[in-house]
Order: sequence, then structure tokens, then C-alpha cells
Amino acid sequence: MKKNEIIIIIGLLAVCLVGIAAFYLINATNEPLSVRVTRQGDVVAIFPLSEDHTETFTDASGSNTLEISGDTAKIVEADCPDHICVKTYPISSPGETIVCLPHKLVVEVITGES
Amino acid sequence: MNSKAYRLVILSLYVAMALILSYIESLIPLPLPIPGAKIGLPNIITLVSLLTLGWPLTMLVVIARIFLSGFMFGGGFSIVYSLGGGLLSLLVMSLLLHFFKDKISIILISVFGAISHNLGQVIVAAIVVQTTSLLLYFLFLMLLAIPTGLFIGITARELMRLLGKTTIFAKLNLPQKK
Repeated sequence: MKKNEIIIIIGLLAVCLVGIAAFYLINATNEPLSVRVTRQGDVVAIFPLSEDHTETFTDASGSNTLEISGDTAKIVEADCPDHICVKTYPISSPGETIVCLPHKLVVEVITGES
Repeated sequence: MNSKAYRLVILSLYVAMALILSYIESLIPLPLPIPGAKIGLPNIITLVSLLTLGWPLTMLVVIARIFLSGFMFGGGFSIVYSLGGGLLSLLVMSLLLHFFKDKISIILISVFGAISHNLGQVIVAAIVVQTTSLLLYFLFLMLLAIPTGLFIGITARELMRLLGKTTIFAKLNLPQKK
């Protein structure tokens, strides 16, 4: 591997890290946060992140149980085959998402009151 | 044995090996907070195949591997995402190999292949769930794709070096010997 290839790889790493840092900095806010649940682009529900809440979303493809507690949101239960949404770490910063591909469900933290 | 039959044997071997690597990969959960992240072991075969058989046959290897492993180990829906990632990754790697053949190492091709694999999957996922907010997720995947791409690239380079010492590929018209 040549020297300029190592530079390209370090450059790619830098782009990633700067991108992630910029993402959090741009979205940082003191405003109240909400959790938005969408299915195929349609908003299903919006909850304030500050209030503890548990709700199950069910449709023809299956169900996901969303739990909001202690200013973080996570999927605690799902009947999809891969359970990727359940394994996703709890989200709490604006712009962070949990996606359940088989059920086409997206949970994201947004800025603003519900 | 004529070279057409020989090529078919090599092709089937690649599919079988890629399938085994897919299976092994599904047994190794990555202890990382990034869901759905994988090492990309089958990409070793994709790279070796790309270097020995060229892109049209490699496309067959990739598609066969994705469909078979999708039906055997994953849900049917995972095939769509794997296809998005696998084909974009193959396209990017083929183009890099075509335009920068002598200037680029397998390792860098592998890194770009890993990144474009994630990009393809995220694009398909974004279309399916109709959201535009997967950018952060992609950046985390890309951050992980760089070390895994390096690892896969180094493995593929060593594999090519060792296979080059054997006579396995002697009957194939190696693309790089044209």
C-alpha cells in the first residue's frame, strides 16, 4: 500500500468523524425534544421525550413496543426476525434514529414540542 | 477440461465459499452500538473473483450469494437491502479497478467497496421506510466500514498472493494478464 493511499484512508476517517461531530453540533439545542414515530413517511405519533411513556405500534407487518424513560427512547420489544431495532442503543439527541426495516418503522428524536 | 467448464467450477467454488463466509459472519455478533453492522467477510470472495474472473461473472457470484444466504439465514426482506449494497459495492469496485488498475491497491478498493456497500443499503432502506434522516446512521456505518474494509482488503491481498503461487488460476485467462 502506497503512502498516498494511507492519506486517502485517513482522509475518509476524518470526513466521517467531522461529519458526526458536525451533525451533533448543528442539531444541539436547548429546546424541548420530542420523539416522532413514522411508518413509511406517515407520522404515526409524537411524544415529548421528557415524559415516561410506553406504547406498542402494531400493523399488518408486526408490532414494535416503544419505551420513553429518563429522556431516552428505545424499542424494547419487536416481533421482526432480526431485532435490529431492539439492539439499537437508546436515542436521546436530536437527529438520532431507530429503524425497523421489516416493519418500515422509524423512531427519531426531533426538536420542538409535540 | 476446457476453460469454460473450468471457469464454471471456479465460479461455483466462489459462490460456495462466499455462502459459508456469510454464514460464519452471521454467527459473529459485533459488540458495537451500531445495529446491522457486519465485517463483510463475503467481500473477500467478491474481491478475489473480481480480480480473477472479471466483473460480469462476479456479478453472478454476488447475486447468487445474496439470494441463497437471504433464503437460508435471513428473512426474505433482507435480500433487497443486501442487493442494494452488494451491487453498488461491486459497481464502485469494478470502476476503480477499471480506471486505476495500476495505481490502486486491493486494500483501498476494499475500503471503497465497504463504504459503498453501506451506502447502497442505507439508500435502499431510506427509500423503503421513506425517511431522509439516516445520514447519521450512515456516517457511523462508514466509520466502521473503514477498518473492516482494511481488514478484508489485507485478507484478500494475502489470499491472492497465496493463490497466485498455485496453478488454480493457470487455466483462467486472468484479466490482469491481458
